[in-house]
Amino acid sequence: MEGYQEITKEGVKETAIEVKDVCIYYQMMKNVTVRHNLFHKHTQEAVFEAVKNISFTVEKGDILGVIGKNGSGKSTLLRAIAGVFSPNSGSIDLKGHTVSLMALGVGFKDNLTGRDNISLSGMLLGFSDRQIQQRMQEIIDFAEIDEFIDRPVRTYSSGMRSKLAFAITAMLETDIMLVDEVLSVGDERFKKKSLKKMKELINDKNRTVIIVSHSIDTLKNLCDKIMWIHDGAMKEIGEPKKILDDYLKFMNQ
Amino acid sequence: MLILNSVIILVPALFALFIHNYICHGKVTPVRKLFFFVLYGIVIGVLLYGSAWLQGIRGIDILQKTLSYKITVTIFSCVLSFCLVFVVCLVVEPDITMQKLKRYLLRFGTDVQKYFEYAIRSARADLRSEVANAYLDWLWWLIEPFCMMLIYALIFGVVFKASEPYFPVFIFSGLAMWSFFSRGMNVSVSIVRNNKGIICNIYLPKFILYFARMLVNGFKMLVSFGIVVVMMVVFHVPISWNVLYIVPIMAVFFLFTFGLGSILMHFGVYVNDLSYIVGILLSMLMYFTGTFYAVGKRIPAPFGALLEQFNPIAYCIASMRNAVLYCEPPQMELLLMWALVSLVLSALGVYTVYRNENAYVKVI
Repeated sequence: MEGYQEITKEGVKETAIEVKDVCIYYQMMKNVTVRHNLFHKHTQEAVFEAVKNISFTVEKGDILGVIGKNGSGKSTLLRAIAGVFSPNSGSIDLKGHTVSLMALGVGFKDNLTGRDNISLSGMLLGFSDRQIQQRMQEIIDFAEIDEFIDRPVRTYSSGMRSKLAFAITAMLETDIMLVDEVLSVGDERFKKKSLKKMKELINDKNRTVIIVSHSIDTLKNLCDKIMWIHDGAMKEIGEPKKILDDYLKFMNQ
Repeated sequence: MLILNSVIILVPALFALFIHNYICHGKVTPVRKLFFFVLYGIVIGVLLYGSAWLQGIRGIDILQKTLSYKITVTIFSCVLSFCLVFVVCLVVEPDITMQKLKRYLLRFGTDVQKYFEYAIRSARADLRSEVANAYLDWLWWLIEPFCMMLIYALIFGVVFKASEPYFPVFIFSGLAMWSFFSRGMNVSVSIVRNNKGIICNIYLPKFILYFARMLVNGFKMLVSFGIVVVMMVVFHVPISWNVLYIVPIMAVFFLFTFGLGSILMHFGVYVNDLSYIVGILLSMLMYFTGTFYAVGKRIPAPFGALLEQFNPIAYCIASMRNAVLYCEPPQMELLLMWALVSLVLSALGVYTVYRNENAYVKVI
């Protein structure tokens, strides 16, 4: 919690993301039947707390890295910030910025063509038709899928899928980017290209970024600040070097 | 006999209690349940006798009435209680307030505005993809319903000797509406699961997904109605201004499908076996809806007319046929009643989805 106070003290830069006392629960449903649902009979439901009381702020243009072991609630937190679901308690304020979540396996409609999928995803991200059309060619070029763009997505290889998904989120630039372990995709050449694009996006001074990753080196290189989540609760937040060292020490115990 | 007759009040009261419990998320204590049960019984009784009294009928003797009258009254009070519950809930339940209702309404308005274009686009893309890989392209939208009509006309017209004026048009128009409804229901059950990719990565109001699907089905229905027009010309069906009634009828039909679908959509997320149940119910309903025969005439006396009046799909189809084929206006009171019910049902559906959509991502 020290880290949290530290950030607020600075207070000079504009905040882009404000997360306050956020808790997120998962309800483990047991034997769901028609009867249960119709009559709302409350059987014993196990509640699993994925995120417990996390508060932090990110300033505009900053890059926050999130680290923690598997299943500690990192992705859940990211999804909540992206607005996929709202937290059970607490608040998330994005100060009116647009946000996009970059994760493996972006949602495509399998039967639609790549082109249709681009414009539908774009619309959901809050872009107007004109803006999407302007960037359409850029996206197609970047994704390197050429004539496949007018074929249904179900015919794509997994590599093409991830390349297209990457291209969409990378080219339709939002104010806030949430990156869930997808810094680079595809084959060796595309990996380099996507990583370069990613760095370009991340280093833009107007863009706020949250990166979830397990790669210590990446986080060390890119981030201004690191947050360590353990079992849903925030353990530490602050300078990358110190926290990453603590984290490594903890994991090697 | 008296016990049997009190069913007229008790069934609607029970139904009202069930809906009440549903709105309150099943958090009604037994004592309160009993209280509300009695309350609903009294209110419905007062309303029934009151309306009869206003019409100048002093002292109705239910015992003397026909069975059809009794059933009509019972169903009518069920419909009445369905709408009544909302008013009562607003007054007595601390959880449900006018303010909250307004907030939901506002949210619904902005969401529709924001995502309407998406829904249209998604529907258009879906339609395009459906025909993209077929040899006969969009011609399938004409061929498929036309062939279905031929089959039904053959079976029911020739084998079962069912005949109505302009029988092929009769079947075709009914079939167009029925398939809109049944497709909607079938899709709604699994729609959240089928769009997992989108739902897990970005927020959108979940009913928009269903709405987009309804637009797809609606377009297909529109194409079918294009054929109906052609067939009407071929069969020399006379036309009057009453044909304009098709607009309000369709609006009610659309609203009803939307309301029921969004409720099914919610339960489809949690209950895996719901699609089987819906399948069975749909095929049962198809025969009770008179897609290829006139329910009102074919089913023995009181039940046929009742079915036609109190099965909303049958009612919509029958009045559409009356308006389009036989130059008759629909029964206005019934249309109004079903419009009200559909509106309430849609509100209930949207409310259910809003209240629970947060959990969908976590479940699928």
